[in-house]
Amino acid sequence: MHYANTYLEKPVVPDVKITGEGTTDVLKCMLNTGSDIYQGACKKRGSTLKEEYKNASGTCYMDPRDMAKLGVNNWDTVLVKTDFGEVVVNCAVSRDAPHEGTVFICKGPWANTIVSHDTYCCSDPTYKGIKCTVEKTDRKVLLMADLMRWVYKKYVDEEDDDVVENMESLGELPVYHGRKWEELIDHDL
Amino acid sequence: MTYEPPVTDYDYIVENCTCAFCGCNCDDLDYLVKDNHVVAVRHACRLGASKIMEDMDQRLLVPMVRDENGELKEVDWDTALDKAAEYIANSIRPVFYGWSETSTECMKEGVALGEYIGAVLDNQATICHGPSLQAVQNAGYPIQTLGEVQNRADMIVYSGSNAMNSHPRHMARYAVFCRGYFRQRGRFDRTVVTMDPKFSDTAKCSDKWIGFEQNGDYGFYNAIRAVLRGKELYQDVISGIPKEDIYELAEEMKNAEFGVLFFGLGLTHTLSKQRNIDIAIKMVQDLNRYSKWGLTPMRGHFNVNGFNIFMAFECGFAFGVDYCRGYPRYMMGETNTIDLLVRKEPDCFMVIAADPGAHFPNGANQHLANIPVIQIDIHWGPSTELADVVLPGSFIGVECAGTSYRMDGVPIYMKKAIDKPETCRDDEWIVRELKERVMKLREEPNVAPKYVPNPNAL
Ligand code: SF4
Repeated sequence: MHYANTYLEKPVVPDVKITGEGTTDVLKCMLNTGSDIYQGACKKRGSTLKEEYKNASGTCYMDPRDMAKLGVNNWDTVLVKTDFGEVVVNCAVSRDAPHEGTVFICKGPWANTIVSHDTYCCSDPTYKGIKCTVEKTDRKVLLMADLMRWVYKKYVDEEDDDVVENMESLGELPVYHGRKWEELIDHDL
Repeated sequence: MTYEPPVTDYDYIVENCTCAFCGCNCDDLDYLVKDNHVVAVRHACRLGASKIMEDMDQRLLVPMVRDENGELKEVDWDTALDKAAEYIANSIRPVFYGWSETSTECMKEGVALGEYIGAVLDNQATICHGPSLQAVQNAGYPIQTLGEVQNRADMIVYSGSNAMNSHPRHMARYAVFCRGYFRQRGRFDRTVVTMDPKFSDTAKCSDKWIGFEQNGDYGFYNAIRAVLRGKELYQDVISGIPKEDIYELAEEMKNAEFGVLFFGLGLTHTLSKQRNIDIAIKMVQDLNRYSKWGLTPMRGHFNVNGFNIFMAFECGFAFGVDYCRGYPRYMMGETNTIDLLVRKEPDCFMVIAADPGAHFPNGANQHLANIPVIQIDIHWGPSTELADVVLPGSFIGVECAGTSYRMDGVPIYMKKAIDKPETCRDDEWIVRELKERVMKLREEPNVAPKYVPNPNAL
């Protein structure tokens, strides 16, 4: 059957090449979160377990000058830390640059790990304008299910962050009672 | 992006459907249906089209309950509903969160259940436009409908909102590019201003971009208000904007024939929160001394406004309504989901048509790992990873009909286009079943103790 295609493996970002090693290891920035069209389309379609959501939502959009300071290129991984937590995400050149000193991560499980839950009695957490640091890393970006397991550990007995991070991946499809989606004989259930 | 041939292989077209994504509720969509599945959508934007042609891989099809190993196990409807009802009936402080992506008919059952059991009912406004609703109570609500904007407005201001990304057809269908009765030339008859620290996609197609600095919104609006009231600005640069520009903008706003301010989460999520909106509303009031101005919050989900309007009608409060004392009560910062979760108060959490896993900060979600979570949704999402009982609902506007409220408060009936998967149920049915089962488990409703006046108080 021919469907109109709405899938997009990765958001489209400016093709800027960064050369050189970078001048600093840790960059101090201001973090904003919010939605963009790639994240919205992927989330609401329901493709949250997929690689596509990881790329749309777990990406830190940076000013190319900031990327040059760290010596990172499009789709390298960076570690973002705030007072509320840390998370590994991809980095990419922002479509809205220039905004030196500010980084943007779309809302989603990745951004949630590091945003502030302070509501200042106004019901609304502070999702924007949070101080953060960005550094280069070799750790990989976790898929949604793995990330939820790593952050909340609701259904694993393990307490150690590093062990949970390196556990076998839960994959890109739902897991029904220990059986992967592909293993179900009758997909219609 | 690559060229894609149009979809020609379909059985029939369902015309004039309503989009179930953002607060624009575009009601002119055509669905191309083949084998009871929407294979293409006409007129919708990228967001709407992608939601309607959902991802069937991740569609929740059967009710599921976690077993002792922490794995989701498929069960029949009775078992799952009984389990969920048991969690709700045995809880002391249940929170029912969500409602923004379901129909108003379903909310009716939800309020009945919440009132019976003494729950907190809250919706996504609590993490998006909650401060706006609070500001509306503080300062007023000078609103207009989107039809008026289309026909009359000649100056459109987007503040802290990236409409091109989050409400893609807003500019085309209601505000900027569309032609209207008094604006025959469409875009050429309108001035568009975007206020955002970021040079966003909306700013790129505006006439003017005001890039005030981060958290500078409050100062900036105050400066405009001062100018509108004939005061002089003493600083040369306010919130990163030179004062000459502020004078010029204020003059332009005064001279508009009909101006509208659309504001988004850029204002509610920064530090001054509801004070930002207060001041924006007051600015609109000041502008009304010179010309006609109105404002509209850019609501995110297609029925987030519906819950607020419905709750305000039912019990007097728009969101974060707490029934635990037997009567509705509302207190900002106290009866709202995030505050409750951060204080670790709830002992049962029901998510209906929402995704806290994807949208709540870590500090709030941590508590969901300690308590039973019941999820009613259509897709396997981040919240499913935290859920103990999963009840598959149906897709309003595609598989099931229902009423929703547009961002300007206009109710729209969303019709049904295709049949839902056989094993799924309507959200309304699920909540009603839960209500009946909870009523069997807990026979006494939660009512306020009788009021006895204190004789010594007089
Ligand atoms: S603008 Fe909003 S309501 Fe209209 S088609 Fe796009 S997502 Fe749907």
